[in-house]
Amino acid sequence: MVDIIGKRFWFFLVSGVLILASIISLATVGLKPGIEFNSGSMLTVRFEAQVDYTQFNQEIAKLGYEDAIIQRTSTGDFLIRTHELTDEEKAQIETTLTAEFGRLSEAQFSSVSPQVAAETARNAAIAVIIAMVGILIYVTFAFRRMPGAFRYGTSAIVALVHDTLVTAGIFSVLGAILGWEINLMFITGILAIVGYSINNTIVVFDRIRENQTKGISTDFQNVVNSSVVQTLGRSLNTTITTLITVLALLLFVGATIQNFVVVLLIGLIVGTFDSVLVAPGLLVVWSKGEWGRFIGRRLVTSGEAKGV
Amino acid sequence: MPRRNTLVLIAILIIFALCLLVVLPLEKGVLGERGVRLGLDLVGGVHLVYQAQFSDNVTAADKSAAIERALLTIRKRIDTYGVTEPLIQSLGEDRIVVELPGFTDINAAKKLVEQTGFLEFREVELNEAGKPVYLSDYLADSVNDFFDKKETANRIFVNEETEEGYGNPVAFLVKDAGNLKFTDANGNSIDKETLKQGTTQLLSWIPARGSNGAQLTGAYLAEAEPTISQQVGSTEPQVSIKWNDEGGIMFDEIAKRLYYAGEYGTPQRALGIFLDNALISAPQILEQAYQGSGVITGNFTLEEAENLANLLKSGALPVQLKRPPLYQEQISATLGADFIDMSIKAGLIGLILVMLFMCVYYRLPGVLASLALVFYGVVVLAIFKLWPVTLSLAGLGGFIVSIGMAVDANVLIFERMKEEFRAGRTLGAAIEAGFNRAWSAIRDSNVTTIIACIILIWLGSSAIASSVVMGFAITLMIGVIISMFTAITVTRTFLRLFVGGRLASRTSLFSAKWGEK
Repeated sequence: MVDIIGKRFWFFLVSGVLILASIISLATVGLKPGIEFNSGSMLTVRFEAQVDYTQFNQEIAKLGYEDAIIQRTSTGDFLIRTHELTDEEKAQIETTLTAEFGRLSEAQFSSVSPQVAAETARNAAIAVIIAMVGILIYVTFAFRRMPGAFRYGTSAIVALVHDTLVTAGIFSVLGAILGWEINLMFITGILAIVGYSINNTIVVFDRIRENQTKGISTDFQNVVNSSVVQTLGRSLNTTITTLITVLALLLFVGATIQNFVVVLLIGLIVGTFDSVLVAPGLLVVWSKGEWGRFIGRRLVTSGEAKGV
Repeated sequence: MPRRNTLVLIAILIIFALCLLVVLPLEKGVLGERGVRLGLDLVGGVHLVYQAQFSDNVTAADKSAAIERALLTIRKRIDTYGVTEPLIQSLGEDRIVVELPGFTDINAAKKLVEQTGFLEFREVELNEAGKPVYLSDYLADSVNDFFDKKETANRIFVNEETEEGYGNPVAFLVKDAGNLKFTDANGNSIDKETLKQGTTQLLSWIPARGSNGAQLTGAYLAEAEPTISQQVGSTEPQVSIKWNDEGGIMFDEIAKRLYYAGEYGTPQRALGIFLDNALISAPQILEQAYQGSGVITGNFTLEEAENLANLLKSGALPVQLKRPPLYQEQISATLGADFIDMSIKAGLIGLILVMLFMCVYYRLPGVLASLALVFYGVVVLAIFKLWPVTLSLAGLGGFIVSIGMAVDANVLIFERMKEEFRAGRTLGAAIEAGFNRAWSAIRDSNVTTIIACIILIWLGSSAIASSVVMGFAITLMIGVIISMFTAITVTRTFLRLFVGGRLASRTSLFSAKWGEK
């Protein structure tokens, strides 16, 4: 049988690097908050005539919106993103643009006050944290007959945090390159990732529980390894079928839910990695009390691996 | 066992047929008007969230009563526009959400909701000599009390014809802790010197009261209709009003008093009609009694007259809404329509690919699981429609995730079945063992998901994100619950049909690796 868990410190190394890189990326580049989290207004206007981008830019700057971000959408509309507009300011922008470029229609408009923006970010965070506590409690309960039931819950949460953190980290890098902002669909994506991640982890843990009860080996590491190998087919197949659906979404639906789809894509792959390889490894480390030797042991393991 | 299985199969088919009846007829589409309700982000429309402004000492009970009345008032106003299925509800204790599907003019929508619609009648303040009081009189340094000491309510000074129109409030005069104070519409103080620089020959308007001491307001109206002026040579739109009994008496008392207050054409004889602190018109009182009816004129277009009549009929908002709204969004309908088309296409293609994968990889069980997936889709849609769940973008996300989990349950079971096959069990034994062994994993993973969903729904309080988070959580929860049923009961029932049949001996239909260890 393939020894996956024996290489756990390799996976921890990969995980550690990913997490470190994600934290660095989140701390330096960060996630660019959309108006839902940062307040402001977004106005999309559609002109009957062709309008030049540079000219449009100048016109908006002349109105005093130097801070405005202006994008041209794939359908030729113009998206203006700026601070929260009052009714008068919005009317002024539209009259000026009409005078300059001819008739326009408002394709989309949204505006979020600072008060709501702050609440949105806070409430989303609170919801996710309390959901995590709920998960921890249930998993501990479900594995109550196992020695160290609390470890299962904790490891599941670690996998989940790992998953969201790395996904957010990778997203922040992509966002910096491609100029993506996070919006409410990003939150939806993260919630979906949380759902998948916990599902994956529990399937593996369930197998460990079953094999442990059956007593297939006295060595916990063997039990965990067998369980991971036995569930590998399922883990991969589930990831593949879900990826198929997500790719279909990405190809056909496009920009509106780009955030959601990209987060799902990254999160699914990272999530499979941490649920299958990291979380069970963590259980073994915990049961063997390897915490103290974490660094030293990793060096030894890597030395062994090189020898093979 | 086979007999029981047949019964279960029949039950499944009946459920399927019933759900199909709910989801169909297809001619209007599975989604949209006749089908599952779609969120604003999918169909387009206007979404507004307002903060109601209460003063600090209002009790929670009074707040909720005021919000309830405000919701009713807003609903009345919106109903005159024939918006299909508007959503008007409170959010938290002091917020109001208005969602108008298909409404394309956000400015009109905002005006409709925001306008307080407070109609009041005022008259000109008179000094002891019976002469009108002007702003200039109050700006004199020696003045530190109202000229009409009996009337302690605020005075309104409105502008005359300017670029910004006529009748808008310039200043309010209130008595604050014994001293007179000028303020603007938001209650901020205005310096006397500032006012001295503008026009000062502005009349001081005080509430017009009946003999019972109550001010005549829109609350005493029984009816309001847009009409065309009946005067010869005039086609001016106006609003005809009818007072209720009490209002009729009060109006006549006021009319009689003003009739004798001054000559025709003097300010003393004018009745000021104010809407939300702005003077609409100030007609001269021509008769001593009006028998409970009257007209409001004011250079209206027909549309303006209609709007005003609607506003008056719906009554005044019992609470001020803060402007601009906390959250406002207008989504164009075309964006929505394209999007729905695309996502249906994407969903179908994704689903077909997943089914193909299952059929190729798991053979016959894969085919059966695909059938179970179709069953799953129809049942979930039927529940969405009956609940009803409003399907938003985030809800769609939850639905997609739940499809993934439905497939996952089947994958779990089939992998277990394969293992049992490899151990050399018969089909019947492998099916039962596969389902029994996979059950604990399916149960624990799905229950965890359901717990997370319940927490997310429960936390959905007063923020915008909550509608997204809740939309996601509700569809995911429904999906997960149904998927547990379809994956376990439906697929197993289908599979059991084959036990003992001719196909059961052709194990290649179930797994390519039968008997291999």
